[in-house]
Amino acid sequence: MRDVVIVGVGMTRFGKFLERSLPDLGREAIWKAVGDANIPPKDIQIAYVANSIGYQLTELKGTIGQHVLAAAGFFGIPIINVENACSSGSTALRSACLEVASGNFDVALALGVEKLFCDNTARSSEAMASGTPYAKFGFMFPALYSMNLKKWMEKYGITQRQFAKVAVKNSKNGALNPNAQFRKPLSIDDVLNSRVIAYPLTLYMCSTMGDGAAAAIVCTRDKARKYTTKPLVEVAACELVSGTVTIPNQPHEPLEARAARLAYQKAGVGPEDVDVAEVHDGMAPAELMLYEELGLCREGEGGRMIDEGLTEITGKIPVNPSGGLAAKGHPVGATGLAQIAEIVWQLRGEAGERQVNDPKVGLTENAGGWVIDDNAACAVTILKK
Amino acid sequence: MTKPSNSDPAPDKLQILVQEGLFYQPQSPKEKPYLIGSRCSLCGYVSFPKLMVCPCCVQINTMEEMHITGKGKIDTFSVCYAALPGFQAPSIQGYINLEEGARIWSLITGVEPSDESLKIGMDVELVIGKLREDAEGNEIISYQFKPVKTDRKG
Repeated sequence: MRDVVIVGVGMTRFGKFLERSLPDLGREAIWKAVGDANIPPKDIQIAYVANSIGYQLTELKGTIGQHVLAAAGFFGIPIINVENACSSGSTALRSACLEVASGNFDVALALGVEKLFCDNTARSSEAMASGTPYAKFGFMFPALYSMNLKKWMEKYGITQRQFAKVAVKNSKNGALNPNAQFRKPLSIDDVLNSRVIAYPLTLYMCSTMGDGAAAAIVCTRDKARKYTTKPLVEVAACELVSGTVTIPNQPHEPLEARAARLAYQKAGVGPEDVDVAEVHDGMAPAELMLYEELGLCREGEGGRMIDEGLTEITGKIPVNPSGGLAAKGHPVGATGLAQIAEIVWQLRGEAGERQVNDPKVGLTENAGGWVIDDNAACAVTILKK
Repeated sequence: MTKPSNSDPAPDKLQILVQEGLFYQPQSPKEKPYLIGSRCSLCGYVSFPKLMVCPCCVQINTMEEMHITGKGKIDTFSVCYAALPGFQAPSIQGYINLEEGARIWSLITGVEPSDESLKIGMDVELVIGKLREDAEGNEIISYQFKPVKTDRKG
């Protein structure tokens, strides 16, 4: 297999853009990535396009990738549509990387694009819940998070206040990110006093609807050097897993931990080598659990990580410098690639006010969907400068 | 049953199952409800809803249909103040450890939706009944669990 590098990334701002279409958002992200890579657009040989909910909420009921690429001026190349709920974006990246690693193509595009806002909020909510067949029974994702969190709080003495600190940190980071949907720093009181969704979750701990797009162009190292003088970021691992069932009286390894284990193995690094991470905090407190599942701290130490500020931009291992899903926004299919864009900017030293101190290795974790009693999919990607 | 009078021409509401093949709705007070699950004849794994292939053994023809009596204990629960369109908030969502060995998601009904109403480990039982009304006023029938009434006070 050949080494694969990211030669260019781009994203739209995330937010509420009622007047913009999927092709319009996608075009902006693609051309930003093309500009960033300094690549002749016709050198792009294949595209993977991630979208999760466009089929339900927009006029495009099929081949969304082809419609978006057409708007960006791309015709004739193979275009593959990718759907893996919230982890669609990193799933598209993985496929694009495999095209290059295998020698099938030299230059591949991965795009994530999503529009969740429409003129009817109820319709948007229903569409977002449709990632599981359980919505018709009244199943609510926040309640699921809440149940896991309550067990964990009891086991390790974690407090709601510590969860609030995650939302505070991420809102502070989002305020520094010009692409973030929400740019208002929140205080602990703001978070704790916002409406209870499902204890310990309050409104400001939860990600909400968003529109946006993000893209990455991957290619071989040789090709990349012809296009750009910017530091090249290697995709050292991009590992995808699906969920498993819980078997009574048997240990159940969380799928995030399983994906991370595979990714560390493939990349030849350990959690101690990770200098910056973007993780899937659909609900901010889940970030604390992810510290443990990704091996960034030992079991039961998630609370200490946030108390001691270790995951702040200035900390030992900054997590979600972009603001994470709650502050940056969570346009489902675009999220995974926006995480990738952030890590690329961080590794290149281009992250502006939210730049962490000279990172060499970055990680993204992107999970989504729900099947029986586990997430449907999870991807962990490790990028190296 | 009283027929709707001419002055009150409300059409009869339908009862619609949320999903076919998921549970049995008693047709008389003598009957008991049950969930339709499955059990692996090789390893004993119990699932609800019914699965055609055991996720542990991964062989065909090992899963047998099983009627789950619907007695269990609350494993964990959450009072949720957000709801999808057409559903009531707050709701109590939970995981139930069934006597038969499976752990399943369910709404919990029959008590005030507050954290004080329930305790982890509490005995619960299956009820089949109205989950919600659809836009036409039809009753959507689903499975839920409710706390088992302790015999008497004191």
